[in-house]
Amino acid sequence: MNSSSGQSSGYDLSFKILLIGDSAVGKSSLLVSFISNSAEDIAPTIGVDFKIKMLTVGGKRLKLTIWDTAGQERFRTLTSSYYRGAQGIILVYDVTRRDTFTNLSEVWSKEVELYSTNQNCVKMLVGNKVDRDSERVVSKEEGLALAEELGCLFFECSAKTRENVERCFEELALKIMEVPSLLEEGSTAVKRNILKQQQEQPQASEFGGCCS
Amino acid sequence: MEEEQQTFVSKARTAFHSAAAKAERVLLDFKSDREDHDKQSSPNTFTGQQPEAESPHTDENDSKLHSESKHIKWRPPHLGIKQDWQDKIKNIRRGRKEVEDTDKVGDASMAIPFYDDNLYLLNVKNDLEAKASEAMPSVEGLTAATKDPIPPSSVLKQLAIAVEAGSKAKSMKDVIASPGGSSPARERAGLSLSAVKALVLREKEDKLTSEFTSNEKVVQLINSLFDPEGDFLRRKIDSNLEETAMTSLPRDIHGAPPESLVVKLAEILGNYKTLRKMALFWCRVVAELRKLWFEEQYLPGVPQDEIPDLKSCLLYQQFQVINCCISRKRFRIIATESLDSMMMQANSDIKESTDCSAEASASPVLYARLNSGELVLRLGADHPAGDMTLLETGEPVYSPITQEGPLLTEDLIRETEEFVLRTGSVGAGCSQLLSDMQAFKAANPGCILEDFVRWHSPPDWTDNEASTEDSDVFDSGEPLSARGQLSRRMQKEGNLWRELWETSKPVPAVKQAPLFDEDLAVEGILNAFEEMHPSDLFGQLFVSLLGLGFGIAEPMLSGNSDFSKLFYDCKEYIITACQNNKLNEKVDGLVQVYETVEKMLLNPEEALKMIKQTEESTTVTGEPRSPFKRLSLIFGGKDKLLRKSVSKDQTNDEEKSGRQSFSSFFDSKSSLFGKKPPKSGSPSPSEKSSIDTGWPVV
Repeated sequence: MNSSSGQSSGYDLSFKILLIGDSAVGKSSLLVSFISNSAEDIAPTIGVDFKIKMLTVGGKRLKLTIWDTAGQERFRTLTSSYYRGAQGIILVYDVTRRDTFTNLSEVWSKEVELYSTNQNCVKMLVGNKVDRDSERVVSKEEGLALAEELGCLFFECSAKTRENVERCFEELALKIMEVPSLLEEGSTAVKRNILKQQQEQPQASEFGGCCS
Repeated sequence: MEEEQQTFVSKARTAFHSAAAKAERVLLDFKSDREDHDKQSSPNTFTGQQPEAESPHTDENDSKLHSESKHIKWRPPHLGIKQDWQDKIKNIRRGRKEVEDTDKVGDASMAIPFYDDNLYLLNVKNDLEAKASEAMPSVEGLTAATKDPIPPSSVLKQLAIAVEAGSKAKSMKDVIASPGGSSPARERAGLSLSAVKALVLREKEDKLTSEFTSNEKVVQLINSLFDPEGDFLRRKIDSNLEETAMTSLPRDIHGAPPESLVVKLAEILGNYKTLRKMALFWCRVVAELRKLWFEEQYLPGVPQDEIPDLKSCLLYQQFQVINCCISRKRFRIIATESLDSMMMQANSDIKESTDCSAEASASPVLYARLNSGELVLRLGADHPAGDMTLLETGEPVYSPITQEGPLLTEDLIRETEEFVLRTGSVGAGCSQLLSDMQAFKAANPGCILEDFVRWHSPPDWTDNEASTEDSDVFDSGEPLSARGQLSRRMQKEGNLWRELWETSKPVPAVKQAPLFDEDLAVEGILNAFEEMHPSDLFGQLFVSLLGLGFGIAEPMLSGNSDFSKLFYDCKEYIITACQNNKLNEKVDGLVQVYETVEKMLLNPEEALKMIKQTEESTTVTGEPRSPFKRLSLIFGGKDKLLRKSVSKDQTNDEEKSGRQSFSSFFDSKSSLFGKKPPKSGSPSPSEKSSIDTGWPVV
């Protein structure tokens, strides 16, 4: 069964990851850096965007659907819909702007509490832009302390230099796989997708083999 | 339910047979009278009739039909000819009226068959109404039940039965239609009597349905359920309980808040005895929801302006959307009127200004002055945005009234997400951004993109004084560059923000095309209610009522040293069971757990005995007390207890009957807790083994 599903879909597990945090902390840059090694300036996100990444960790092939959200307050109602069902949530702040760190506990952790429907989801605190060390205003120790308080994993990274970027996502995926209910959800999502594909194939044949 | 249906059909058949027999007697009487009259009348008067009367009739049905035909023909001349017939007809009419008034049988011999027929049907109707009256829940009955600390387990059990029965039905309409419907074979026979029977039966069904919805008790229940001021179905909930505990359980099990509309609806529906009546009441509720929406009245027991709570059940989320849409419609009306009156004021101000050459009064109407000195009306301005001023004109920046985003329940969120994944669309974000830009332009004449960014996305603007970056921009003396600059990402070529900005027109939010159409959204919800599958509806109501019972019981039992452990085991069980899917497979187990909690509250002595027996079993076997194994032992012990009670000679009839009823319920369902324990009374290694294998802990 497992082998069959692997052949059919090309991956074993499927997880939903959500990126949140103040505007301009580098959420989109972090995502693009992880997906394609790019480090250029990214236009401000309008509403939500997503990227899909295939990843192999712990001997498993994973499909990560990573949702990127606009951090502006005006978009908050729109983005709140995308917390539903996320197995992993990354809360991003900018180490050169203290207000983005303060807002993690004053705003963003409350948003997670309010909108996340997955009680067991894995949360990760990420301090971005560590390449600007001369402008740093939030120390690593402060980040660690807040992560412990909020029950999150913690990493500091730089989307520009790609320092720790892959490690963030890999570590998050590993932690998700350690939670039985999340592992079950990831597996269920794959099976549902396979079933959907199988249902679509007969229709294609009905149309006389038009598969384009 | 089948037995009840059969009884109804059987009675209907008996009634029709009786009516047919009486009709034949009446026809015979008429025939006899006609023969008498023939003797008295002259042959010329009835010459045309005699050949028909004399012709032979071998077929019985033809004979009947022909007789009926003759009867119709004969009646008019008899009316005109004989006083005797007139008297008889008068007696018949008077007899019927007497039956209606006094329920007595008249004296006239000719009228007797009609009296019997009407009386019989009336009795049948009375019987049906009496039964319906006994079974139908009422406001008084339900109010009395609220004196119990938690809703009775019989109510929850009825919802459990509905969940299971509903899962086998195709739709709510099937449930409503299932008891009725005449046999196609009967209709196809074409016999006039059969056809009449079928028609009358169908009419009776329609009558029963309309009788249900107009039944006084149903109307009262609907009125009480939707009374915003009433305290119908309100129970004492311990106010000392921590807020977290009371609000967390309903959300953990995906139910609804205590005393919300959903929970009250669950309690009412659980008191109906048949699935069909539950379905009919739900349709009545949906009709009331449509009426409230049409009248723009809030639903009671639901917050008036909160976005859907995704941790509550879908039904509750949908109720939240309805109330939120009512709030938004009311707000839009106020905002539109305010804008319109402002514009009229501005027009009259202009007139005054022209006539009197005086400056326009600025107090109720807001203007912005352009660089050219021209005054332009601000539309849809809400409040000043701090101390910000427009970069080019120096006028204060006003935050505009903006449109709110979509209200999405969990099912629509899933659909939206799948749509975005499939198409890559960023339309929703762009629509909202464009809407904000247009509202901002209307409220801030003379603004530029940089002004909007400073308001909407402050991190994308850097003031020069505060800037710590090494900037390549030289101070060329331009006012714009002197004040600050956009972020690098915002200045990029092809940035969609600038394109949208140049597309946008100054239009206040209340005049824009709506981002979220309230009428469309609520119509979708009400249609979904009408199409809702029975198992979906009753499943949500079941979980909501379960949450209410546990929520009320918790403060009463958590401090009790005898029961707190067992209570928290039960609570843990229901949370785990409800968070998984496949509720249909778990409702029986959940009902039993609920009954355990009910027993702890209402019969603590008996519950204590049960616990002690369980503890003794556990002690003997030396097993560690895992929560689910404890529950397994508890229900095993309960079964033994029931059997012992039944076997006692001293048990009275009522108690015995009740226990047998429960026992049969227990036996008829496959138990979630595995095999029944062996019949031997004392625990043994084999019993332990049986319990272990019967209860897999996931």
